[in-house]
Amino acid sequence: MNYFEVFGLDRKLGIDQAALQARFYELSRRWHPDYQHAAPPDEQARALEQSALVNAAYRALRDPIARIEYLIRLEEGRETKEGAAVKPQAPPELLEEIFELQEMLQDAKAGGLDQASRARLVAERDALAARQREESARLTGPLSARWDDAGPADRRQALDALKRSLATRAYLRTVIDDLNAALEETQEDHVPHHRH
Amino acid sequence: MAYSEKVVDHYNNPRNVGSFTKDTPGIGTGLVGAPECGDVMKLQIKVNLETGVIEDAKFKTFGCGSAIASSSLATEWLKGRTIDEAAKIKNTDIVNELKLPPVKIHCSVLAEDAIKAALADYKTKNAETAAR
Repeated sequence: MNYFEVFGLDRKLGIDQAALQARFYELSRRWHPDYQHAAPPDEQARALEQSALVNAAYRALRDPIARIEYLIRLEEGRETKEGAAVKPQAPPELLEEIFELQEMLQDAKAGGLDQASRARLVAERDALAARQREESARLTGPLSARWDDAGPADRRQALDALKRSLATRAYLRTVIDDLNAALEETQEDHVPHHRH
Repeated sequence: MAYSEKVVDHYNNPRNVGSFTKDTPGIGTGLVGAPECGDVMKLQIKVNLETGVIEDAKFKTFGCGSAIASSSLATEWLKGRTIDEAAKIKNTDIVNELKLPPVKIHCSVLAEDAIKAALADYKTKNAETAAR
């Protein structure tokens, strides 16, 4: 049973949050271990399993972006991001841009980050954060709606558009994190955040 | 997670960091990324136009230690190979050499993608030059 089915939903991204929450509470109560004391052991075990499934399903579906990530995993029949059969590709010009930003950041760090270059990094960071918010809005707005409205012929394309947008968002996030880390590192005795 | 000795070595002393001017004849450039972790990797080859042998290779990677080590190793392996031999480098070779754990396999895949992209770029440009 997939997470949409747990809540009796179709594989659609437009979900009524209030209805989802109400259904979550209802299912949580039904399978709550506290109500199963009198039940035979195999039923208790089943209730525990169901309870875990309901929790996992709610975690995956309540956030609109996590929901999209789950939908993609589900559509592609894979469990983890690492196992992606076809890697989502961001637009090539975005890669160029990210690469140039990272080079600029590296040079700025090498130069000791004076007032002027700090101001430039802050401006870059804020502009990128605005783009990331736009990308999130595009994902949860028009791109989600496109998936929900897609007939069998456009499903593939609608899913690819979601994947590209998620990839774009992920690249923006990394470079924003790196900019923040550089700005914090140079500001005080901050324990730098290192990737991996 | 502990990195293998070879990864640490490449990370501390990366080989062939830098870049070539993109539009110089014989240069192939591959720019690839991994959205899962936001890593970006640029790998370039300099091919001898007469012999088809890769004379030099350079890279620049913004990412984790394994991504840097994978691309550093890739540039070492590329030098002296023909472009056909270069196309045979597989990510699994890099995994074995660097003893990458399963969660870092995508770094080696990225390096293989970068090699392929650089070779493809070289071939496209070379065909354009030859057609002139």
